[in-house]
Amino acid sequence: MITLKNITKKYSKETVLDITSLDIPSGQTFGLVGNNGAGKTTMFSCLLDLIKPSTGRVINNGVDVMESEGWKSFTAAFLDDTFLIGYLMPEEYFYFIGELRGLKKKEVDEFVNQFEDFFHGEILGGKKYLRDLSKGNQKKAGVVAALIGEPKVVILDEPFANLDPSTQIRLKQIIKDLSKNKETTVLVSSHDIQDVTEVCERIVLLEKGKMIKDIVTSPKTLKELESYFKGELL
Amino acid sequence: MYIFELMFITFLKLQWKSFFRGESVGTNVMTKIFKWFWIAYFSFLTPLIGLITFKVLKEDFEVEDPFLFLNKNLIYVFTYWIVIRYFIQPVPNVSIKPLLLTPILKKKIVRDTLGNSIFSFFNIVAFFYLIPLGLDLIKEGYNMNQLIGWSLAIIAFVYITNYLNFLLNNNDKLLYTIGATLFSIKLLEYYSIFDFTVYSGSFFYSFYANPVYSILPWLFLVWIYFYVFKFFKNGLYIDTGLKKKADEAKIDDFSWLDRFGKTSIFLKNDLRLIKRSKRARSTVFAGVFFLFYGFIFYFQDDIWGPVMTFFGYLFASGGFLFMFGSFVPSWDSQYYPLMMTQNIEYKEYIKSKWSLVVIGTIISTVLACFIYSFLGTDAVFAVLAGGLYNMGINGYLTLWAGAYTKTHVDLDSSKMVFGGRKAINMKTILISLPQMALPLLLFWIGYNYYSILIGCLIVGLTGVVGILLKDLVFKLIIRAYKSEKYSTLKAYKKT
Repeated sequence: MITLKNITKKYSKETVLDITSLDIPSGQTFGLVGNNGAGKTTMFSCLLDLIKPSTGRVINNGVDVMESEGWKSFTAAFLDDTFLIGYLMPEEYFYFIGELRGLKKKEVDEFVNQFEDFFHGEILGGKKYLRDLSKGNQKKAGVVAALIGEPKVVILDEPFANLDPSTQIRLKQIIKDLSKNKETTVLVSSHDIQDVTEVCERIVLLEKGKMIKDIVTSPKTLKELESYFKGELL
Repeated sequence: MYIFELMFITFLKLQWKSFFRGESVGTNVMTKIFKWFWIAYFSFLTPLIGLITFKVLKEDFEVEDPFLFLNKNLIYVFTYWIVIRYFIQPVPNVSIKPLLLTPILKKKIVRDTLGNSIFSFFNIVAFFYLIPLGLDLIKEGYNMNQLIGWSLAIIAFVYITNYLNFLLNNNDKLLYTIGATLFSIKLLEYYSIFDFTVYSGSFFYSFYANPVYSILPWLFLVWIYFYVFKFFKNGLYIDTGLKKKADEAKIDDFSWLDRFGKTSIFLKNDLRLIKRSKRARSTVFAGVFFLFYGFIFYFQDDIWGPVMTFFGYLFASGGFLFMFGSFVPSWDSQYYPLMMTQNIEYKEYIKSKWSLVVIGTIISTVLACFIYSFLGTDAVFAVLAGGLYNMGINGYLTLWAGAYTKTHVDLDSSKMVFGGRKAINMKTILISLPQMALPLLLFWIGYNYYSILIGCLIVGLTGVVGILLKDLVFKLIIRAYKSEKYSTLKAYKKT
């Protein structure tokens, strides 16, 4: 279970994040939607102790993320290209992450090979460093690296952006598979409400740092979200 | 013409904004001041060297004909100059991209880029040297008109290297070929098998003997200018000349490092970094020059005294530490958020960085011992003492300073190893100043009251004590890293 209590983040006078209380139970597939500047990435950064919130606490499976580093052993994330090491080959990068999570080379190989479909032959066995891959392929490598070592919590920021349609479909399947066993908590943010409603059990809508909606996904959800964003336009 | 003036003003405004709206105006100003300080320093020093070249060669090195000697060695000077340019002189490349869609003619972009380089410091400094040298040579009885012809030829060659640099840009292989060829020439000369400089010397001397020949290098210069012009203009497409070159990747295993446990995980990556990032490679390369620092003071021992000579030896083993080490953890700046969220303990991380710096220092110390063994046992002891101090004290100081050195290092930008805010900035050198002062004081105490050997002993022992206190110091360093975590993350994000 992940708990956010009274989390706020202020830059000078502007409040970019303001969440009074949010509980994400273990095993939930949690979606975060909102327009640019809604605070999605800020919230994820607070969860990962990359940004220090102005007030409040984040408890990740019993660990206060600001007090202890214990959460790092069961949490993995891919937010953006700052989670990639450009001068490594994808294989080396996977081994590096695997080693940090206590996996042997062979185990990493076995794990990564499951994603051959997803990689579409463009990641493994190539002759390129991560820095020379296209944005989409970089994202594929980053997302898969975040799944190495069966983390209990996986945080993905905008995982669908920059991906081609077939890869998007495959990624949705991967996320759905993760949530099937009810042991992995997956947190996903997106601009695309359709993607999120497809994969997430629960969707939270952020607007200017505040939680506007907290919905359990149902067939009506997409309509509900659509009308909200349309209302924004009008 | 009005439109161009307007463009110029707009450009100035943009420069102004980028300067004052940058993350660290303070660092910017400091760097600029230091840059001009160095330029002023060299502008003063170079003419001086030009004036005394003849005298020093004749009297101190007992060269029979200094002018002939100079001509013989010009080939090395020019090659060295090409290498220096390659590493330091920036070739504007990426900055051109946004101009492509503006109504500025491509011809003009190229002409301006090539034109601006005429006034580059790397060219102007040649005038600073040649004019005083020429005046001195006239005084020594050389013919003025012939000297003018010779100087013109030399200037043509300086500018030829200037434009060669444009072609060399990003072509490591060509550079290494030039370096290797020159090295073999020097070897052949050293073992008196074949003296190439006899020919190259008479080649350059011919411009003095027959000043009319000077027209030839100028013709060549004109040709190479137009060649580069065409080369550049044809390359003004984002998929050709302006494209970043991607190297073919090969897996580097380094599994022999696994015996060092968790530390090796990061060590492996750091080795790959040095191997694959040109920026890191050039920095290590620059550190190699430190090995020869000791000679500067050794040959002037009577002027500077043993303390400064010791300073030279201390620096000799510190090249890797001061050049590469000062950018820990900035080398990881591009993926610092990854490092901060992975299952990594700070202790392992700091330890691996320290190990890297220590390994580099051990290698430097061994090499320096070998180099200075020709100067006697005192020199070797001094180098060893300096090496121990660098390992035991300066290693920590560098890592500790690293917690506060929030410079984003762009691993992919190949240029700008020196100069520029992103490079080995003067801040790094400022931090290293106290690292130098303390060992000098310790040495001075020992030397002043006892002997050079005791001075070395005190410095070396201090280093050993430092190494023994490792765990305690690591705790302090880790505390600094932890408290700086958020602001470091923020600073790295804003390039």
